[in-house]
Amino acid sequence: MVEKKEYKEWPPYAPGTHVRESDIREKKITYSWWEPEVQYSWSVGHAMSKFLQGLKDGKLYGIHCKTCKRVIVPPRMFCEYCFGPTEEWVELKDTGEIETFSISYLDADARRIEEPILVGVVSIDGAYPKPMGFMHYFGEMTKDEIKIGMKVKAVWKPENEREGSITDIKYFKPLKGGSE
Amino acid sequence: MKEVAVLGAGMTLFRRHLKETGKELSFLATKMAMEDAGLQKDDIDMVVMGTAPDAFDGIHMKGENLIDGAAGAGKPYVRVFNGGGTGVFAPIAGWWHVASGVADICLVVCEEKMGNCYPHPQTAFRHIWDPILDRPLNPNLVWLFAMEMNKYMTTYNIKKEDIARVAVKNKRNAVGHPCAQLADPNITVDDVLNSEIMAWPVQRLDISPPSDGAAALIFCNKDIVHKFTDDPIYVSGVGWNIDSTMWTNRDLSFPRYVAEAAKMAYKKAGILNPRKDIDFAEPYDPFDYKELHHMEGLLLCDKGEAPILTREGVTERDGDLPICPSGGLLGVGNPIAATMGQKICELYWQLAGKAGKRQIPGDPRVGVGQAWGDIMQMATVMVLRRG
Amino acid sequence: MGFLEKQTDPTSPMHWRGDMQADYFYPSGIAGDKFFKHLMEKDTFLATKCKPCNKILFPPRLYCEDCFEEITEDDWMEVPASGKVKLFTKATINAHGVKMEEPKVIALIDIDNTDGAMLGIIKTNELDKDFSGVKVKAVLRPKGNREGTLKDILYWQVI
Repeated sequence: MVEKKEYKEWPPYAPGTHVRESDIREKKITYSWWEPEVQYSWSVGHAMSKFLQGLKDGKLYGIHCKTCKRVIVPPRMFCEYCFGPTEEWVELKDTGEIETFSISYLDADARRIEEPILVGVVSIDGAYPKPMGFMHYFGEMTKDEIKIGMKVKAVWKPENEREGSITDIKYFKPLKGGSE
Repeated sequence: MKEVAVLGAGMTLFRRHLKETGKELSFLATKMAMEDAGLQKDDIDMVVMGTAPDAFDGIHMKGENLIDGAAGAGKPYVRVFNGGGTGVFAPIAGWWHVASGVADICLVVCEEKMGNCYPHPQTAFRHIWDPILDRPLNPNLVWLFAMEMNKYMTTYNIKKEDIARVAVKNKRNAVGHPCAQLADPNITVDDVLNSEIMAWPVQRLDISPPSDGAAALIFCNKDIVHKFTDDPIYVSGVGWNIDSTMWTNRDLSFPRYVAEAAKMAYKKAGILNPRKDIDFAEPYDPFDYKELHHMEGLLLCDKGEAPILTREGVTERDGDLPICPSGGLLGVGNPIAATMGQKICELYWQLAGKAGKRQIPGDPRVGVGQAWGDIMQMATVMVLRRG
Repeated sequence: MGFLEKQTDPTSPMHWRGDMQADYFYPSGIAGDKFFKHLMEKDTFLATKCKPCNKILFPPRLYCEDCFEEITEDDWMEVPASGKVKLFTKATINAHGVKMEEPKVIALIDIDNTDGAMLGIIKTNELDKDFSGVKVKAVLRPKGNREGTLKDILYWQVI
């Protein structure tokens, strides 16, 4: 049963009870705690399977959509714009261009770090139209040198350390002396 | 299709941690909306619940758990969810219910308890990334927005100062809001520029906080609205659009999915010149640069023009085009779906002249609210008008 | 391979393993906090009365979900930590689907003086008994050790 209230200002009050971190630590309120353990095994899919195998072999693969005239990387079985099947595999170069980047003082768990991580999106040469690439780290450059548009090249892990993962590339470094 | 009016709105306090359970928060927001409208539980025909990932509250099928507090026990009910876009998508779903004629009165409730994910909701955000392509790189979600912000700033040659002005404006605007988490009447551009760098160019005061909170909204059919008010506020346009998840293959300097959603909403609302026809706007501002990015996406100005308008004071509450008069997410808080409180409930309170200290001067008649979700993909837009 | 290629190597599509890690903290809420704090001090439960519905709600809550009436301070009342078994079952597998060494009797117990019920584990040697309608009482942790969660109820015992 609620009656209409003719307050002049809305919201007229702010219902809710603020609880501070210290209240939680000092157990001023009761609560339950739960640590779920859930494991997953994701199917990689046909297209990514070949892409990851390519990474293990030290190669970058893109795939061609004839209708949209795109060479897509990361590759997919169907083009999400025209919804048609993608067809030929294209071996791409392992060089590219920085599309955007960030200089992060936070690691993956939001903890502060002293030396920043340089991360961003790299468009791969041979794939089009730009932007066409994936996220990765940048290395062998300082935070003052990194720029959008910089030409870069992949630095691979040694063959015996590659596992078929995006981390088979360690990072992208500046490509000295223009494109190959 | 029936015309749909707003009868009442409510929201709770927004804070990093609230003592109430999700159900209790939903109850408090719903009760306030019902006080505004003068309704009881039996008057509500259907209920729409909007709440973002179960991973925050830590309860699977969260909508079904919360429904008791949302006056939904024994009623037709649906939960909608599209990440951050839920704050405006849930009212759009509420609008469908009434516009289609299946309900005369529909209650929409949005709730979020991000504080349940311990120690920080970042942990749940880690799972938004593609498990194969992105997660092996151990990314932090802030990186994503830092990259988009960098691309936007570089493409249009925007200085950090102009972006920081948005954080200052919104945190000051929030001073008139009883629910606000981060209202600050004294904050300056220097405070923002000197705050800790998280992932350049994003600094601590550029980001809205995670919060607990809830909001509620009640829609009704135009045919019966005269029983409740002489000056109804109507939903005049709705739009929504999503872009591909392959964000590394998209142009990040302009949110085209926001433009598509806006065009859809403006077409229905009969808006031909957004800059002229719209009196004020509540674009989604989880980061300060996002307000500018979304202003351009909402076609309220040209690409790259939003920071200039901000610098010139056009977007202040007493300016020509007030943006985020509520204080937005930067000032009031960001409990994902419950941001409906700032994005749509605020439009209603402003148009009805009930916004108190936050009231925009003059006679605003048309307002647009927008939310944004997932990996920079989803845009949801709603236009409200008076009379 | 493209969409139209045949898949002939069954080992080729790979799987990627991972987990979803997060810890959760669930505050008991306004009503829940009152209930558990009371249980830390006393050996009884709290329930709430909804006057319009004329029902005693258990577990106690801030509002009645049927009539949406807000419950005020005066509507709270003490009830005994005992009840009658409404439904029960003998569980032989645990939450992960693994057979347990000792089966457990799980029951839905109507709490005395209320219109509500709660789940509990009945500690008993008579695993195959018919527990319908049997009177049971809650066995609680010793007072100094109670934490303010459901685990303060160790198990239920036939009276």
